[in-house]
Amino acid sequence: MALPVTYNVRNVLVRWRATAATILGVGLVVTVYILMQAMAAGLERSSANTGDPRNLMIVRKGSTAESSSQVSREQLNTIQYWPQVERDAAGRPLVSGDLVVIMNLPRRDGTGEANVTMRGITPMGVTLRPQVKLVNGRWFTPGQREVVVSRKMAQRFANCEPGQKFKTGGSVLTVVGWFDGGDSAFDSEMWMDADEARAIFDRENYSSLLVRVADTNAAAGLMQRIESDKRLPLRADFETKYYATQTTTALPIKMLGSLLATAMSIGAVFAAMNTMYASVGSRTREIGTLRVLGFRRRTVLASFIIEGAILAGIGGLLGCLVALSAQYLCVAFGVRFGTLSFNTFSEVIFQFRITPFLIMKGMLFAVLVGILGSLFPAIRAARLPVIAALKSV
Amino acid sequence: MTIPSFILKNALRNKRRATLSVLSVAVSLFLLVTLLVALRELTLPAEDAGAELRVAVRNKISIANLLPARQRATIARIPGVAAVTPFTWFGGKYKNEESMTFAQFAMDPKELRTVFGEAKMSEESYTAFEAERTACVIGKMSAEKFKLQVGDKIALESTVYPVTMEFKIVGIYSGTPDDRNMLFRQDYLDEASGIPGQVGMWWLKVKSAEEMPRVLEAINQAFENTSAEVRAETERAFQLGFISMWGNIKLLVTLISSAVVFTLLLVTASTMSMAIRERFRELAILKAIGFRRRELFAFILAESFVLAATGALVGVGGAWALFTYGNISTLTNGLFPMFEVTPKIIGIGCLVAAMLGIVASIMPSLAVARMSVVEGLKSLD
Amino acid sequence: MTANGNIVTIRNLTKLYAQGEIQVTALDNISLTIAAREFLTLMGPSGSGKSTLLHIIAGIDRPTSGECQVQGIDVAQLNESQLADWRNQNVGFVFQTFNLIPVLTAFENVELPLLLTRLGRAERRKQVELALDLVGLADRAKHLPRQLSGGQEQRVAIARALVTDPALVVADEPTGNLDSHSAQDVLKVLQALSTDAGKTVIMVTHDPKAAAFGSRSIHLEKGELTN
Repeated sequence: MALPVTYNVRNVLVRWRATAATILGVGLVVTVYILMQAMAAGLERSSANTGDPRNLMIVRKGSTAESSSQVSREQLNTIQYWPQVERDAAGRPLVSGDLVVIMNLPRRDGTGEANVTMRGITPMGVTLRPQVKLVNGRWFTPGQREVVVSRKMAQRFANCEPGQKFKTGGSVLTVVGWFDGGDSAFDSEMWMDADEARAIFDRENYSSLLVRVADTNAAAGLMQRIESDKRLPLRADFETKYYATQTTTALPIKMLGSLLATAMSIGAVFAAMNTMYASVGSRTREIGTLRVLGFRRRTVLASFIIEGAILAGIGGLLGCLVALSAQYLCVAFGVRFGTLSFNTFSEVIFQFRITPFLIMKGMLFAVLVGILGSLFPAIRAARLPVIAALKSV
Repeated sequence: MTIPSFILKNALRNKRRATLSVLSVAVSLFLLVTLLVALRELTLPAEDAGAELRVAVRNKISIANLLPARQRATIARIPGVAAVTPFTWFGGKYKNEESMTFAQFAMDPKELRTVFGEAKMSEESYTAFEAERTACVIGKMSAEKFKLQVGDKIALESTVYPVTMEFKIVGIYSGTPDDRNMLFRQDYLDEASGIPGQVGMWWLKVKSAEEMPRVLEAINQAFENTSAEVRAETERAFQLGFISMWGNIKLLVTLISSAVVFTLLLVTASTMSMAIRERFRELAILKAIGFRRRELFAFILAESFVLAATGALVGVGGAWALFTYGNISTLTNGLFPMFEVTPKIIGIGCLVAAMLGIVASIMPSLAVARMSVVEGLKSLD
Repeated sequence: MTANGNIVTIRNLTKLYAQGEIQVTALDNISLTIAAREFLTLMGPSGSGKSTLLHIIAGIDRPTSGECQVQGIDVAQLNESQLADWRNQNVGFVFQTFNLIPVLTAFENVELPLLLTRLGRAERRKQVELALDLVGLADRAKHLPRQLSGGQEQRVAIARALVTDPALVVADEPTGNLDSHSAQDVLKVLQALSTDAGKTVIMVTHDPKAAAFGSRSIHLEKGELTN
């Protein structure tokens, strides 16, 4: 038979002065753990959330990023008339030849420059990416040196308001609109006409092709055909799959988060231990009394471990709350984070993403700290002789 | 018995409590030192012997855009330029590794000595690098990591060029701040890729610091309004530009980390003051036998200092020993090649420990000041 | 209960303590019987071994040698867990310092031993109310220990000792921390337990006035019975 949990809860609350620091410590461990992992999750989502399942992306064999891939105009012309390729109502093949160029642009807040992904697309490029919606101004006109910028990008880089101009590759580009990428990797891009881009950046070839296929059979057929054609040194795969694998950027953040959380939880375990030892020490008589009343050792042991878990659980809840409000504030004030993506070698923009799973993991983390921290004090409590109830005045 | 030995005995009276306090101070300070070192390394490019006379020239659009090889002659003719070499990113994958494990650059073998003079290598290696077309040299750190030796052949599959190239290692260099890169010959790359006439960047050495501003200006102007405009900057400016690309994530991590350390220290201070408060009865006895408040404060402060100082010794000292003698570069997969604990960081750690000692003694001191002897004698031991 | 009507039978009981290097004889070859429904008081100076004897009878300490049968069971033979259950069912303990759990109300403190039984919530409530009523504190059920006077606290402790309906109630200096008026109240309750409720009560005290409430009194000195 166990002691009632209310007994433990009240003990934690009654000793709030002594337990506050520990609760705070555990709470902070959980906050940091959740926020760091939420950053990684946000980064991963920005790429995992990208692409249309009906699209195939074609890049040069052996290249890991679009920016280092090359697809020639002849290859585009060959592939777009293949029967597996879908056509629109007017009978035009749903294919876009994309040129991906990395540009250096100054930040809006004057803190230096960063690499930005410029994507040149052919007319079908917008149709093929239904995730992307125009939110301000208009799309670029083919044949003009005009760009449409992701809204989130525009908030971070200089000269990106509609109507403003910036210079790159010796040419002046005019911003004519903003788009929203729906929390996808496109939120970290600027788009313009592919052939204009090829002229400005002096590129003969496209970087990649994006192709709409009718169904999975057609997809398999197209991939098979590219694979078997020795004249085409290319590789086709689902667009969603291509982006889903672009997650290595999140790795260092994940690692740092885990490292911080581990080191901090060791400190939190010490704090919990200190608090619980003090609690056991000042309750020696109480523990003896419980034993005199007939409660067994293991009941006392369990009770103190539960108390530690409750203590840490309160801290965990606090931590989750702080993390969630941090996320809420960031969303409310439109704060976004940008960092250098190892996959595209340009700035990727992302947001905290706290998932229920992360909250669960954070709470589990807290309770674990509580249990670890209270284990030895609880053993000490259980080992107290019954007679301690009478001796310790 | 002397006063110091009394303080020491007091601090160690509850050994478990003392140990726990010292350990939590140590963990906090270890974390503090680790974060300071990591942040310093992220925000400061490695200081480099030859750096102040070295210049990086990249495509103005971005570093990912190539430059025409014909620019070399123009640059070499600019007065004040001592030497110039192409420097082209190969992006090769070694064996079947998932990602790039060390960087490879193609360059002019004859300019290794002039532009990157701090790389130390045997005379035979220099000669072989200049003589053999497929030759490459590799940094000591990478060589050790992959157990590579002079004479070994390695094949790398480029993610940038549609080729897989085979190289023969003719030298292992050391002495640069980050001995990891592999260097090979631009002419070999041109031939293997079948796309000659393009290079990634130019790196050059300027004759003297006075000529630096003029040389930068001259290079930038030389290619203005051509199809490949360039940006020439000092090595340090170039590296700082790289750091700026980390974006505001660095600020965020700094913010989170400072909050972490601050709170951990607060928690530690609180547990330490708990340890001292537990011995009210003793302090009351001291008061009863004639110790004055001032002396009791000194006792408390001294004890809290002993705990904090021991924690600092374990935490800061442990971090210093681990980062100085441990191989952090290998542990972090080369993310942090140096991980140097500077005297300044040690100083910050010790300062924080001293402050911790003071903060932790405030609460118990206040309580002692208010305590009456009778009350203290009654309080639980 | 054994056939001869004795609830406690002690034979040749010896208890030795190691106090640092020195061995102390707390109880020296004591033999004693206690009849059912007795209110026995144990008297003697400090260190006479009276508390040790009480602890051994109550199953919270073990003898070095000898036998202590309570209701026919040799308490010394039980292991830790069995002893815990045995205490819960057979002995009610009253301490000098009350030992109520500070975070629990009077009602919850009394209910505590019942949590170890199989009684349902309603049944427990009935028993707790009965016990509190018996000590005259039914109206203080919701009070926390710190909201009660010393005498009231001790009466709550007695209610807690009673609530499992044990045959034996042991009290260690129950009036030691009380003023004389409160002490009277507590002693009357203990006396009523043996006369009205049919319990065997064993009380350690060094106050002759308290001992006067008992039905029999025995004296210990240096670990031996003196009368």
